[in-house]
Amino acid sequence: MKHFWSHFFIPQEKNNHRAGLLRTNTLLILIAFYLLNQSVVKFVTFLKPGILGYSSEITVQKVLEQTNNQRQQLGLPALKYNATLSQSATQKAQDMFANNYWAHNSPSGKTPWDFFKTVGYKYSLAGENLARDFYDTDSLIKAWMNSPTHRANIVHQNYQEMGIGVVNGVLGEIKTTLVVQHFGTPVNFVASKVEEPISNPVTSVPTQNNEVVVESVPPVVETTTIPESVLLPQTSEVLSQQNKYVSPLLLNKIISIALFVLIISVLFIDGYITLKNNTHRLTGSTVGHIGFLLVILLLIVSSHQGAIF
Amino acid sequence: MIIPPEVKKKPLEYIFLVLFFVVGLCFYLFADISDSGKRFVAIALAGGYFFWSLYHHYKRGDLNLSIIIEYLVIILFGIVLLTGSFF
Repeated sequence: MKHFWSHFFIPQEKNNHRAGLLRTNTLLILIAFYLLNQSVVKFVTFLKPGILGYSSEITVQKVLEQTNNQRQQLGLPALKYNATLSQSATQKAQDMFANNYWAHNSPSGKTPWDFFKTVGYKYSLAGENLARDFYDTDSLIKAWMNSPTHRANIVHQNYQEMGIGVVNGVLGEIKTTLVVQHFGTPVNFVASKVEEPISNPVTSVPTQNNEVVVESVPPVVETTTIPESVLLPQTSEVLSQQNKYVSPLLLNKIISIALFVLIISVLFIDGYITLKNNTHRLTGSTVGHIGFLLVILLLIVSSHQGAIF
Repeated sequence: MIIPPEVKKKPLEYIFLVLFFVVGLCFYLFADISDSGKRFVAIALAGGYFFWSLYHHYKRGDLNLSIIIEYLVIILFGIVLLTGSFF
């Protein structure tokens, strides 16, 4: 048994001084295995929607804290948590699951501002950020901050309040988590200082009732304290309360990383033993292969998750 | 630190390869490009590595079909797993 496995990992006379896992046909089998796994995952998600998917660790509290952290780093005041805005954000996410769409406007023509109106939030300025398929809040905030339009909402000087909806459900046959961030400035907000708004043609709306939006609070860093009870309904489950699902994307990523680590390790072992034994053989450059695969591995590991809109 | 003889023999070729990888990696990670742009960078990295291998083995005098196939399979392995994870 030991000899059988050593054939795959250690270059020796029996395998013509090349680790079995590095042989062309073995690598082709690994590629075929990976493609087969992908097909099975896709087939299962098609056949049984909702079996595969995931519940992220994102919470309303974390999104609120990290959004305000970003603002405070720029010397902007923290946004106050608003339960009514959270209600509109949650309703928006539930609507996307119910009507199976991923956009600011629903297929029936419902705009983000309709959700603000439904919950009775009267605004002079409002905005919306959307995200899906993120596992953690850090990556989510990073992705939003890297996108000019989403960043403009987060660091908008004229917003006063924020509400967040984090909802799990099935979208496009895959179980996922949608995060909706609603920003707003109440219509009766009195301001003392006029500042140039940050333009965001995608998600900001013009002032209603022709009111002039002005900034009342100078850029003083402040901390918003939210009662614990307000934040309890952090995640609204559309279909299930369980957190046992695995994302197909995450599954593919884990399998890819495992295969890369395996092949790179075997290349290291193969290169070391060949060097030690001073074996001469006609193969490609082990150093080059390790370099190339390490680069691709880095691309897989460092690429961000999820999607924003 | 152990430096493999193949690197000692042709250090410039390997320095060029490392620089090529670093530039590609930085462009992929830090440039503000779309998913299709990233796909293009990944394919360019793979293509660049393939052409480097052709030049490297041609200069070494051991360029043959089995070596070309080996590089193609390694590149295929990298690209298939990368695209399967993200694109």
